[in-house]
Amino acid sequence: MARTLAMFTDTSLCIGCRACQVACKQWNELGLEVPDWTGTYQNHTHFTDKTFRLVRFIEEPKPTGDLAWLLMSDVCKHCAEAGCLDACPTGAIYRTEYGTVNINQDVCNGCRYCVSSCPFGVVSFNETTGTAKKCTFCNDRIHNGLGPACAKACPTDSIQFGFRDDLVTKAQKRVETLKAMGFKDAQLYGADSKGFLGGLNAFFLLLSKPSTYSLPEQPKLPQRNVVVDSLLSVGSAIVIGLGALLAFRDREQGDGNA
Amino acid sequence: MLKTPDWELMIVWYFFLGGIAGGAYFTAAIADNFGTVRDRAVARTGYLLSLPLVGMCGMLLIADLGVPRRFLNMLAAFKFWDPMSIGAWMVGVFGLFTFVSSVLSFTSSEKMAALRRKIGLVGLLFGFFLASYTGVLISNSAMPFWSDARLMGALFLASGASTGMAAVSLLMFVTGATAGEGWGKVKKADRFSMIFELLVLAAFLFMLGSAAKPITTGHFAPLFWGGLVAMGLVIPLVLDLVGHRVRALAPIAAVLVLVGGFILRYVVLMSIQA
Ligand code: SF4
Ligand code: SF4
Repeated sequence: MARTLAMFTDTSLCIGCRACQVACKQWNELGLEVPDWTGTYQNHTHFTDKTFRLVRFIEEPKPTGDLAWLLMSDVCKHCAEAGCLDACPTGAIYRTEYGTVNINQDVCNGCRYCVSSCPFGVVSFNETTGTAKKCTFCNDRIHNGLGPACAKACPTDSIQFGFRDDLVTKAQKRVETLKAMGFKDAQLYGADSKGFLGGLNAFFLLLSKPSTYSLPEQPKLPQRNVVVDSLLSVGSAIVIGLGALLAFRDREQGDGNA
Repeated sequence: MLKTPDWELMIVWYFFLGGIAGGAYFTAAIADNFGTVRDRAVARTGYLLSLPLVGMCGMLLIADLGVPRRFLNMLAAFKFWDPMSIGAWMVGVFGLFTFVSSVLSFTSSEKMAALRRKIGLVGLLFGFFLASYTGVLISNSAMPFWSDARLMGALFLASGASTGMAAVSLLMFVTGATAGEGWGKVKKADRFSMIFELLVLAAFLFMLGSAAKPITTGHFAPLFWGGLVAMGLVIPLVLDLVGHRVRALAPIAAVLVLVGGFILRYVVLMSIQA
């Protein structure tokens, strides 16, 4: 496996210009969709089958009564332990040699298990192709020596592309700097490869707690309970089976099983 | 911000019919192996019922795909920890068992009947599987309520048993195969399954606590409490216990159990996807 690639989204640098969102649409030919009214500048509400990069515009009430404007360019996290990948029964979802997670559109049969298995609600179903869609980490570009279109287009370096280990070091330094500047809630999300989901290959620097950005505080792998749930089902099968066995055994003993 | 998979009515039917198919088959196999000659009607009814139901399950699954002609892609991969992957395989394998058992249920040769009983013993494991894996499948997703329910598979299994047995007893009633002890034994097994289902359901709700709200409160609450708990379990049990001498009550109880089983799948799937 090649060295793991990553995207680091530093929300403290984001100016909400949406160059990334547009670049993603253009490069990946994602097509038009009807906009949603979200009550803020944000559009759409959430990822869709045609929106893989999405700039979130969040208004957080401050103790002073003012609003803080938080901006975050959100994307598929390319989780090291990816719920979508584990769920996919066809093997359409696979991990590339760079550690990114991609959906092979020629294999996906549109069962939608991945849609229900992403802890971040990233995967979306496309009615036209009948397949599941999400950020590809610009798979075509990274295999040709280019970074993802969003990172390339970002004018403030809010989205940075590179080797994961390098980016994590950089991100840690940036958190220290921001804290020294007085952003006391500055924190990394998904940078720790010993943390949740084995770390995210698209990780973030946030200026407030994850839930402010509609991110789960501790996302969990959906498949973690498969053994317990199966064993409980087996237990239930044994009880039911014994019940039926006793019902049919009744009385008739000696009648012969002829 | 999670996204729902839009598994709607077709999947509700799939879960429901898969439960009946599994339940009917394992009831048949148990009757075949541990019952008497006079329970043959139970075995034959159960085997013959499970065959078309599994066929319908397969068709529903394929029809619900985004690209139905790619359904074989499911069989191009096998992931032993993935309920959807194993499930797709098992529908096919279980289908074969129901076919062979159905064919052999017409045999008059004792040798063939012995073979059928052995096949039934193996096939019943797949029947149990089909009735319960759908619960494990949704409880291993990122969805709230589904993923909080450790007993989803166990509950679906109990419901598959109660509905499968109700379907067999109903079919026996309709086809006039109620003479002999077989019919009474199915009803007895069904009674046991329903009582067990109520217990599992109570544990299910208790373990979920407030995570069960999507079905216990709000829009789906009347269907859940009225349709499943009262009409689909408590009333049929009462009918069965107090009215077991009135033959005409038996098919009514069986129909209620079947409707309740459908409502269970419906409220579980639709409550968080509506
Ligand atoms: S964020 Fe969701 S879609 Fe992206 S890799 Fe993780 S589980 Fe898969
Ligand atoms: S919808 Fe496609 S990518 Fe998603 S789990 Fe099913 S086959 Fe895999």
